[in-house]
Amino acid sequence: MDRAAVPLPRQRTAPTGQARKRRPKREREGAAWVFLSPWVLGAAVLTLLPMAVSLYLSFTDYDLFDPPSWVGLRNYTQMFTEDPRLLRSVLNTLLYVVVAVPLQLALALAVAVALKSMKRGKGFYRSAFYAPSLLGASMSIALVWRALFNDGGTVDNLLGSLGIHTGGWVNRPGWALLSVALLTVWQFGAPMVIFLAGLQQIPKELYEAASVDGAGRWRQFLSITLPMLSPVLFFNLVLQTIQAFQVFTPAFAVSGGRGGPADSTLFYTLYLYDRGFTASHMGYASAMAWVLLIAIAIVTAVLFRTSRSWVFYANEEGR
Amino acid sequence: MRRPRTLAAVALALCLALAGCGGGGGSATAAGGKVTLRFTWWGNADRAARTEKAVAAFEKAHPDIDIQTSYSTYESYKQKLATQAAGGDVPDLIQLDYRQISQYAGSEVLLDLGTQRKTLPTKEMDSGLLKTGQVDGVQYALPMGVGTQAMAYDKEAWKKAGLHTPKAGWTWDDWAEALRRLKAAGYERPMTDPGSMEDWFEVWLRGQGKRLYGTDGQAAFRAADLARFWSFTSKLRKEGLVSRAEDTTQMAGSVEDSPMGRKRAVAEFNWDAPSAGYEALYGDRLALAPMPAGPDGTPGQYYKPSMLLGIAADSAHPREAARFIDFLLNSDQAADILGVDRGTPVNGRQRTRVLPAVTGFQQQVAGLQESLQGKLKDPPAAPPRGDNGLQSTFQRDYDQVSFEQAAPREVAEDFLTEARTELRP
Repeated sequence: MDRAAVPLPRQRTAPTGQARKRRPKREREGAAWVFLSPWVLGAAVLTLLPMAVSLYLSFTDYDLFDPPSWVGLRNYTQMFTEDPRLLRSVLNTLLYVVVAVPLQLALALAVAVALKSMKRGKGFYRSAFYAPSLLGASMSIALVWRALFNDGGTVDNLLGSLGIHTGGWVNRPGWALLSVALLTVWQFGAPMVIFLAGLQQIPKELYEAASVDGAGRWRQFLSITLPMLSPVLFFNLVLQTIQAFQVFTPAFAVSGGRGGPADSTLFYTLYLYDRGFTASHMGYASAMAWVLLIAIAIVTAVLFRTSRSWVFYANEEGR
Repeated sequence: MRRPRTLAAVALALCLALAGCGGGGGSATAAGGKVTLRFTWWGNADRAARTEKAVAAFEKAHPDIDIQTSYSTYESYKQKLATQAAGGDVPDLIQLDYRQISQYAGSEVLLDLGTQRKTLPTKEMDSGLLKTGQVDGVQYALPMGVGTQAMAYDKEAWKKAGLHTPKAGWTWDDWAEALRRLKAAGYERPMTDPGSMEDWFEVWLRGQGKRLYGTDGQAAFRAADLARFWSFTSKLRKEGLVSRAEDTTQMAGSVEDSPMGRKRAVAEFNWDAPSAGYEALYGDRLALAPMPAGPDGTPGQYYKPSMLLGIAADSAHPREAARFIDFLLNSDQAADILGVDRGTPVNGRQRTRVLPAVTGFQQQVAGLQESLQGKLKDPPAAPPRGDNGLQSTFQRDYDQVSFEQAAPREVAEDFLTEARTELRP
């Protein structure tokens, strides 16, 4: 994803000159493997092996107790043909992605633009807005969120004092998903920092030239900032979309682990967890995980394909 | 020649490091010839303190046995134990819920306790309760205590509404009538909606001589039964007698999430021992009543083993593990330490010793159990495999009813469809 290529250091000659004998190539390779071995072992034992096992399990019926029994493609066909709750979880997840990601990116960009032109206290605000991104994924924040948006919670009381009686958000089918989405939007710090870095890269001369031509701030934003920022915007969009597809903790906490009320926050990952750990259908859950992996790959590929028409890389124009 | 050896050495060192991390606490025998047993349970801090004390007393009496304990909350306990069972690393002594028995016994995780009969006598224990630890006639676990379903309520509210104390044999109609009186006395939505919990549906069903599961391990009721129960609770909700859907849906197993625990209702169904959670809010005003019975007074509630204790089938020291269970369930010393923390003792002699000595809310529990003595029907056989997940399905499905997204009949049929695929007899 990161296009910045790190220039490889050129082959060095031995620092001590010719006095030392060159080691045979095979031996140097061996040293490399020794140094790589912690990573290789970790990747093999903790990533590749579990992935292979999960792929195998996705073709079995496995309840953790009895040995897995091979069922071929049944888990997959069942997913696509006879599981209405799976469909519900897919729709919930898509709705969530479509609501949360654009809102979050818009907010991140707006705050980044505002922060960029600030003269004083920039550091303070930057950290203040970034803090939620560090905390937000934790269970405790999700629980606080639940308390805030609950019936009789702070948000409810505040709105109530304005004459708007909601009766809580997290306990209503139509509102719970929105409260989870807001939790994600609130964690806009990470994309904001990336936007800030991107904004700093835009040459000042462009703005100066534009204001000489009489362009207003809005015009400048649309014609300079957005196009110049498009690679960063694209990067954030891909990253946040992938994350949003895998949202789990906030929905788990806000809904008490059930995806409720009335399945309204039953996200894909939550349903996967439900199938695997509550209903003990590990095979089915594994199949769901692989479908999610493929779905994310497809969505990412589609985003990359569309990016050709709207992402502008300065170096492409031969600057 | 040097290279492969270096590589092998490094790889070996790393493997050892990895294995070292994973293998902690797994050894069966400690140094000095002592036998080490692992014992896990779920529960709160109070239960942990009492259990540790009992373990210490046992270790003092048996210096050759060392017991390593660990505990967590129920939900994480369930998942951890399932994972341990899958990995073949089950602790020697396991606390189990009634709903887990079939799962574990059927998977050859539990030892047949009949093999330890000499070390672990059961003649003082209630024979009906002993059956709750049996699967296909084999005793896989022993109940540690007895609990029963109850209605926790605020005495003050009852008095203000001019109602009598509910007695064993009061019917669901009497119950609904009491709610109407409470509402008339100014208590809006006096009771938590019981429609979302399979436990209360079971009591209602048993009151009509029916049951949740048949001997074949499948659901023994029909969609019409469930639809009738849900229509009944829905009617009460529409009348303003039980909690709103928005409040009912928040219940997640603890008193703090429930309408009565949030002071939005003055009565709630719960199991007797966990009802202690309301004490902080209601103090002396808290009382326990029997569950409503069927139209002809048939009781639906039953004595349920609050939890059971079993031995891992592949434990290296089954005899020592049996000795520990014998100590916990049969000895005076352990009974005095544990009290009624895991429900009232199953051992008849210990029960008569312990019950008069309890104080505070535990007296309410003792009083309720005494008032029901000899009046209840036998407990049902342990729920079949797959029932664990169905409990949450039940609650989730009721959301569809209470938020009025679907008719009770339709949802009831959906529930039974899922039950048929989930239950693995």
